[in-house]
Amino acid sequence: MNIIKKYIPLTIVFMFGIITLASYYVPNRASEEYLEWINKWQNIVSAFALFLGTISLFYSHYKKIQRKVDGWGYSLFVYIGFFIIMGAAILSNGNISKEGKLTYLGWGFNNIYNPLSATMFSVLAFFIISTAYRSFKIKSFAAFLLFICGLILMLGNIPLGEIIWDKVFGWTKFTIGEIKDWIISVPSTAGRRGIMIGIAIGAAVTSLKIIFGIERGYMGKE
Amino acid sequence: MDTQVSVILGAFVASGLTLFIFSFLYKDNPFFKIAEHLYMGVGLAWHIQLTIYKIIIPKVWEPLKIAWQKGDTFTVWMTIIPTVLGITLVTQFIPKISWISRYGFTFLMGYAAGLALPAGLTTDFANQILGTIEPFANFFSLSLGKMVNAVIILIGTVSVLFYFFFSVEHKGVVKKISNFGIYFLMIYFGASFGNTVMARFSLLYGRFDLLVRYSQKEYFYATNWVIVGLLIYFIAEKLITNKLLKARA
Amino acid sequence: MKEKLNKILKLDRRYLFVLLTLSIIIPIIKPIGIPSKSISTSVKDTYDFIEKMPEGSTIILSLDYDPSTAPELHPMAAAILKHTFKKNIKVIILTFIAGSGGLIDELVRTIPPQYSKEYGKDYVVLPYMANVLAALTQMASDIHSFYDKDINNKPLKDYEMMKNIKNYKDVAGVIGITGTALLDYWVVYVGDKYGVPILGGVTAISQVGYGPYLQKKQLKGLIGGMKGAAEYEKLISQPWKGTSGIDALNIAHILVIVFIIFSNIVLLILKFL
Repeated sequence: MNIIKKYIPLTIVFMFGIITLASYYVPNRASEEYLEWINKWQNIVSAFALFLGTISLFYSHYKKIQRKVDGWGYSLFVYIGFFIIMGAAILSNGNISKEGKLTYLGWGFNNIYNPLSATMFSVLAFFIISTAYRSFKIKSFAAFLLFICGLILMLGNIPLGEIIWDKVFGWTKFTIGEIKDWIISVPSTAGRRGIMIGIAIGAAVTSLKIIFGIERGYMGKE
Repeated sequence: MDTQVSVILGAFVASGLTLFIFSFLYKDNPFFKIAEHLYMGVGLAWHIQLTIYKIIIPKVWEPLKIAWQKGDTFTVWMTIIPTVLGITLVTQFIPKISWISRYGFTFLMGYAAGLALPAGLTTDFANQILGTIEPFANFFSLSLGKMVNAVIILIGTVSVLFYFFFSVEHKGVVKKISNFGIYFLMIYFGASFGNTVMARFSLLYGRFDLLVRYSQKEYFYATNWVIVGLLIYFIAEKLITNKLLKARA
Repeated sequence: MKEKLNKILKLDRRYLFVLLTLSIIIPIIKPIGIPSKSISTSVKDTYDFIEKMPEGSTIILSLDYDPSTAPELHPMAAAILKHTFKKNIKVIILTFIAGSGGLIDELVRTIPPQYSKEYGKDYVVLPYMANVLAALTQMASDIHSFYDKDINNKPLKDYEMMKNIKNYKDVAGVIGITGTALLDYWVVYVGDKYGVPILGGVTAISQVGYGPYLQKKQLKGLIGGMKGAAEYEKLISQPWKGTSGIDALNIAHILVIVFIIFSNIVLLILKFL
């Protein structure tokens, strides 16, 4: 039983890990065909992972409705939203537009999904302004450095900032755009590069641990 | 769905949902909660229908049908195997047979690990180290500015790596170098903050641009109606709450 | 005095939200109209790359963004398309993001007629594909083996401009405009592996993170955020949403800077009181 529950899955992870790794470095028609098939497999398996999420979400909201906890009525809207878009998708056969005209799914995407999604992300802008006023405390040289670089980038990103810089620091003969470019391409690159190398080493080590079966957390309880 | 009615209805729905979410900035309210829960359902449905119509049907169902009709057993098996691996993931919810989901997860993890390794090593490791030391190959033929930049990048990269190296205790020279690395990290974070401000404000500009557009006559002043409706709600809610508080007192 | 200052610091954040809202909405209704002066090096590099391309070359334009990042990325996509058409460069448009359909549709409906460009002769649009890695890898040997039909479901080989295009060797470069990590895929699996010139257009948040790729020339050029879009529009002398957008954000940015400076001055005063 241990073979089926433990050793075969470990063999699967080893096999696919090594072959996928080798296919990147071996320029061969077989590598390309392998990558094409394995990517198709990954798309299909990942699609089922999404169904996992669906079942989980529906189950938790169903429990809320069943137990009539505080705010259970809002959980109904999860189902309403889901079935509106699924219904539109079925009616439109998964197409956003047909012959240049918007389908039901296209209408749902433009007027329901997109406003909800874009607005959720844009709300962060308000919290940036709140944080800037209440929490951006410059108490050390490091924080001051962070502020100065943020200030230069912010001024460099707007035409008004260019005018302000020219009026106050025009005597330096450097424009805000040149300083902004220099910050992004030199000191910020150094900082980012250190992080990238660190992450690459970490990712490589973790990948090798996964391939060789040392890291098995994803397999759940033994 | 391009009729005048659907366009105006779309304007009301889009501006309504946008303002429902923004109403949270004033205070938590039923409209925001409705929009929030709708977003959960709508977002999930959007990705599910994408999966069904762009992956399952064209990459699983259609090839399987054609291969079955042609007697192409290789393609049939190459489609059935990942489908079965995908189905094993769902057994996660049944504790007695949840071990079957390991087959699906190990395939995904093996594939991801095998893919991440060369990508990380070549592009984010080797090429980045190369980029740091390349200018030193012809160092003295560079202009003064480029020489200074190359030195700054080298010092910055090394000191940041020192900061992240936790296998050696940070004291003495190591501590001094890693503290220096912190300054380069602060420069990077500051630059990121500056650009994040623009990115978020750009998204906000996009939403406000839409709201201003939908407040025009051709959209039947949709934004204005929704704002009036929300204002009426908040004022009424405040009056009722005050009345109840007075009654209790 | 101390209580007053503390009260100022603890100002209800809703007042700040109202100020931010007004600072963006008012310039939308009544534009300030300050032109952008500087052009960043990475944007100029992107412009120069296209400008130096011989007439009749072909590029791949990968448009991988959806309406949530459209305010930043759509103006730069439009500017690049206008520039390539102006230079008589042929364009293969493709996407790996399902939500980009409507935006690509808007671009190809409005821009080609302005330059008298014909579908199939000057540009083609390939269908959405979920399988990024398979697409990037297969296109290295034969683009037609992966994309056998275009977005209109017609055989790709039948189009005039696609008759001489087999793989990456026949294209002058790839421009990836994306709000996701797809540009990294182009750099790793196409640029670094096959030596194809890669240029990018990304959101402002991601822009700073690509500094190392630009320095190492893994990316030949990069347009970052709405400012980058405005700069590119200035270079091609065709102001559009990038220019009007960055104009509307002037006061909002100044507001953030003023708030940070003001709150820290108040803190400093409180420290000495």
